[in-house]
Amino acid sequence: MSERPDRFGVDEIAERAEKAFAEAADLEVLEEARVRFIGRKGEITTLLRSIGSLPDEERPAFGDLVNDLRERILGLYERRKGALSDGAAEEDYFSGDPTLPGRRALSGGRHVLHQVLRDIKRIFFGMGYSLAEGPDVELDYYNFEALNFPADHPSRDTQDTFYINRDILLRTQTSPVQVRYMEKHKPPLRIIVPGRVYRNEAPDPSHASEFLQMEGLYVDRNVSLADLRNDVTYFVRAFFGSDAKVRFRPHFFPFTEPSAEADMSCFACRGSGCPICGKTGWIEIMGAGMVHPHVFRNAGYDPDAYTGFAFGLGLDRIAMLKYGIDDIRRLLSNDLRFLRQFWAETAGEVFE
Amino acid sequence: MKISLTWLKRYVPIEEDAATLARDLTMFGVNVEGIESLAPPFTGVVLGRVLEVKKHPGADRLSLCTVDAGGARPLGIVCGAPNVAAGMRVAVAVEGAVLAGGLRIKKSKIRGVVSEGMICSESELGLSENHSGIMSLDFDGKPGVSLEGKLGQSEYVFDLEVTPNRPDLLCHFGIAREIAALYRRKLVLPDRFELGAGGDFNLRIESGADCPRYTAAFVDDVIVAPSPAWMQNLLKSVGLGAINNIVDATNFVLMELGQPLHAFDRDTLAKDTIVVRRAKKGEKIVTLDGVERELDPGMLVIADDARPIAVAGVMGGRDTEVKAETKRLVIESAMFDPRLVRDARQRLKLETEASYRFEREADSGIMMDAAARACRLIQEMGAGTPSPACAESIHDPRSLERRTVSLRVSHANRVMGTELAGDDIAALLDRLELPSRSYGETVHVSIPTFRRDILEEIDLVEEAARVYGYENIGRDESARCSIFSEVPAEDLRKSSLVDFLVSRGFAEVVTSSFMDPADAGRMGWDGRDERAGPLRVANPLTEAQSALRTSLIPGLLGVVRRNTRAEQEEIRIFELGKVFLPGPERAGLPREELHIGALFARHATPLEWMAPRRQSDFFDMKGELEALLDRLGLLEEVKMMKPHDGKGQIFQWLLGGAVLAEGGLIAKGVSEGFDVDSPIFYFDLRLDELPPAGGGWPRFEAMSQYPAVKRDLCIVVADRVRYAEVRNIIMQQAQYLDSIRVFDYYRGGHLGEGKRSYTFRLSFRSSENTLDSIAVDREVHRIVGALQRELGAALRTE
Ligand SMILES: [Zn+2]
Repeated sequence: MSERPDRFGVDEIAERAEKAFAEAADLEVLEEARVRFIGRKGEITTLLRSIGSLPDEERPAFGDLVNDLRERILGLYERRKGALSDGAAEEDYFSGDPTLPGRRALSGGRHVLHQVLRDIKRIFFGMGYSLAEGPDVELDYYNFEALNFPADHPSRDTQDTFYINRDILLRTQTSPVQVRYMEKHKPPLRIIVPGRVYRNEAPDPSHASEFLQMEGLYVDRNVSLADLRNDVTYFVRAFFGSDAKVRFRPHFFPFTEPSAEADMSCFACRGSGCPICGKTGWIEIMGAGMVHPHVFRNAGYDPDAYTGFAFGLGLDRIAMLKYGIDDIRRLLSNDLRFLRQFWAETAGEVFE
Repeated sequence: MKISLTWLKRYVPIEEDAATLARDLTMFGVNVEGIESLAPPFTGVVLGRVLEVKKHPGADRLSLCTVDAGGARPLGIVCGAPNVAAGMRVAVAVEGAVLAGGLRIKKSKIRGVVSEGMICSESELGLSENHSGIMSLDFDGKPGVSLEGKLGQSEYVFDLEVTPNRPDLLCHFGIAREIAALYRRKLVLPDRFELGAGGDFNLRIESGADCPRYTAAFVDDVIVAPSPAWMQNLLKSVGLGAINNIVDATNFVLMELGQPLHAFDRDTLAKDTIVVRRAKKGEKIVTLDGVERELDPGMLVIADDARPIAVAGVMGGRDTEVKAETKRLVIESAMFDPRLVRDARQRLKLETEASYRFEREADSGIMMDAAARACRLIQEMGAGTPSPACAESIHDPRSLERRTVSLRVSHANRVMGTELAGDDIAALLDRLELPSRSYGETVHVSIPTFRRDILEEIDLVEEAARVYGYENIGRDESARCSIFSEVPAEDLRKSSLVDFLVSRGFAEVVTSSFMDPADAGRMGWDGRDERAGPLRVANPLTEAQSALRTSLIPGLLGVVRRNTRAEQEEIRIFELGKVFLPGPERAGLPREELHIGALFARHATPLEWMAPRRQSDFFDMKGELEALLDRLGLLEEVKMMKPHDGKGQIFQWLLGGAVLAEGGLIAKGVSEGFDVDSPIFYFDLRLDELPPAGGGWPRFEAMSQYPAVKRDLCIVVADRVRYAEVRNIIMQQAQYLDSIRVFDYYRGGHLGEGKRSYTFRLSFRSSENTLDSIAVDREVHRIVGALQRELGAALRTE
């Protein structure tokens, strides 16, 4: 190549042509650009006309130079034209207006309570828990007596009960499945028991007469309170985020001893106190404890041979906490505008 | 239950602030649900400076003080305190002030001299029981400044959740005992009058089982008056009103020691007698609240020689209550069978502080002490002269003895997940006033009467764990995982069906398990339909929730109603849930069946520009049900039929002999009954009728690698012939049929009356070779021949 500078400005023309072609958004504009550079009255023609002002000995070289330039620009033009033609439809696929909305089939989604249940089940299945279920309409024996709630004892007052008759009731907790399951299975066992439970309470924003609960039960030769704390902590962190903290407060349940209520650190204020946690920094999430020896005896287990823990959590409450739902009664309202809010694909995402 | 911080401090030193104490108690197992802060109970009290003190002209023990209380001129105040002196800064109650105990200050003449206010003692301000002199304030500030909220400590009241196993915590002393254990502090017992047994009185207990213990203490020379301000303030802080010194003293003991007491006016007792007996049939009593109540032999009463004077453990009678003119008292401190108290409370619908505690079995050892404490308070207030001897009945003296419960150290450690020594555990229990001794592997604990909840080893393990601190247990993060999860195949199938329905555009809903019994009629179920006789709840919240649902459909119709009102235009919903059919099941429990109910209402498609909008119709319903059945691998096995007694447009899908599903149009009348617009289509699938789940994982099968050959076939048949018959014949005849779709259906019109046509697209394919057109023609020929022969069908060519 010549080492001389771009004496006739051909490189500059080529650059301008390339730029003009690249900026052409459709074939029409591209055609205008082609005419401007290599049309009969285009820049190349004008350039060629200036040959007359050159000495004769330079004319052949100048002619070659301009022809090369024309070839170059033609090549650029063809490339751009090809690119534009590929995209431009021969047919009109979008009815002349691609901004019209697309065709949408109806979309569905799970109920928020069952989403929460599904997510919680996944975590416990991963920890080795199996699934068990029991009847909603239950014998007084399994709901109360076998769980160490004596007849006519004030501990029954903590759970207002719907009765069908003297012996049959709507279960107030999922715990009756503990004894039902232990009667049929030998340890070791590790189960979760989700199900609907009923309380004879006038509904208000934080109390429903029916709600979803989930029980956990783990029985083996040496299960301890320490194991309970570990499993509960693991669950809370898996569900609410790995920075969640858990604390156990002593409490009373007739069918566990020692008994505890588990709190988790408030996800909203991270423990500094806010309206969600009642300014305590902690949110109560479940009741738990070591299976009471009486319950083991009622199930036909030897309380000296086995120890175990049980826990129970209200899924409505968990859903309300997780999604900031203000009134428990919304969960059974089934207003589609409510249900749709929780269909977004955020599973696994730890909320702030 | 409400507990006052000031009150607690009578029995245990507390330096912690209210919030710290609340948190520590909560972590110790005494759940503090709230803290309320109360200002000291006075208004209109200001800072004053005593300018001058002179003798009262008419009384030696009174002084006449000139006090600067911030007003335009100093006030003249008569004061009886010996310690008043010029220059003192004092609390002055000016005209209009209201002091603790409700005393309102007015300008008044005292022995002939006008007093324009009052210089206050601590007792008058309700700050303490000290009334020996006026308060000297070391309080900077200008005279006249209000002292509200500036004097004394504000009062804090804790709202405690006391679980039914711990009746010992239903009083201040019980909470103080926990605080002493929590902080390892010394507990101070309240002073008691020296009371002994042996009093002479006609006390008769008819049944020791009904009333295991009864103590009657006596007080003479009674002067009924208001109780002192400090007592009124403490009672008020926990929500009890002040009545008079006697009743307040008994209430004070109730809140202090947890033992309910009752004071009778002894002079109103017929023949100076107390009998504890069952009520007689038809007997009546007017209780303290003025209500006449009818009693029966299921209830225990306290009576005199003539009539009932109290419902045992629940409420006293009006005739024998303490009145202004009362001179002599019988103070009852007793223990009753908790079941009798509970039963009477429920039947009389009368819950009292007393019944609440009696039902929970108060401390069986405290009767005499509680009576002695009340006597002491009455004596201190100058409200009467207690007698040193009380009358007492004890049914079973052994019930007053301490029990011994033992704990195995290794077992305790196994349950807690700790490695504590026997001495460690004994020391933990000692802190709770549970005297314990460790003998190697065993710890013996002597259980006081106030801990009736501790009956066996595990109860002690819990107490030890609580004092040791749950927060100190279980920091090992390595969860064991020796047991593997086994999820029932039915549950997996259930979730996959739900996911499938969701993918088909259904919104999952969750409706109530309850049903309005009237819905059976609205649904048009007749008497033979088991859904018409739902199980009733004996004590429902409302009539509309008084039965258990026998079908998901009524609830789903309610969801349609709600969402129609919310102007939702496309309604495609399902619920997977239980229904309850009264049926023979073991032990009288109903049959609980799992169903999927689905409804199709309003529009089936969104409002769009490219195609007209469509109402939900029968084939939306049928298509989704078929898709579900196909997913279950049952589409070719079920048989759709119209039930013999079927009304309207309802069909059943049978599997084997059993009804797997029903579906169709919700009758117009039914829709109207539920106040929803017709048409609504539904299906109801009984999951329990499905074959057992878990048939194993699907097995891969190789697909044919040869091309398919397509043929369209238009068949004209008589109007009585159905698509299913045509399809059956095609399926039977074809050998290489790969798929069959009907894509056109036409009735009447140019076909002529009584005719209909179906146009099929048949696709043929072999897994062994490429089908040539001769083979396909042969196949089609055979099909058409069979259709002509069996259905009289004609082949129509375009
Ligand atoms: Zn918070």
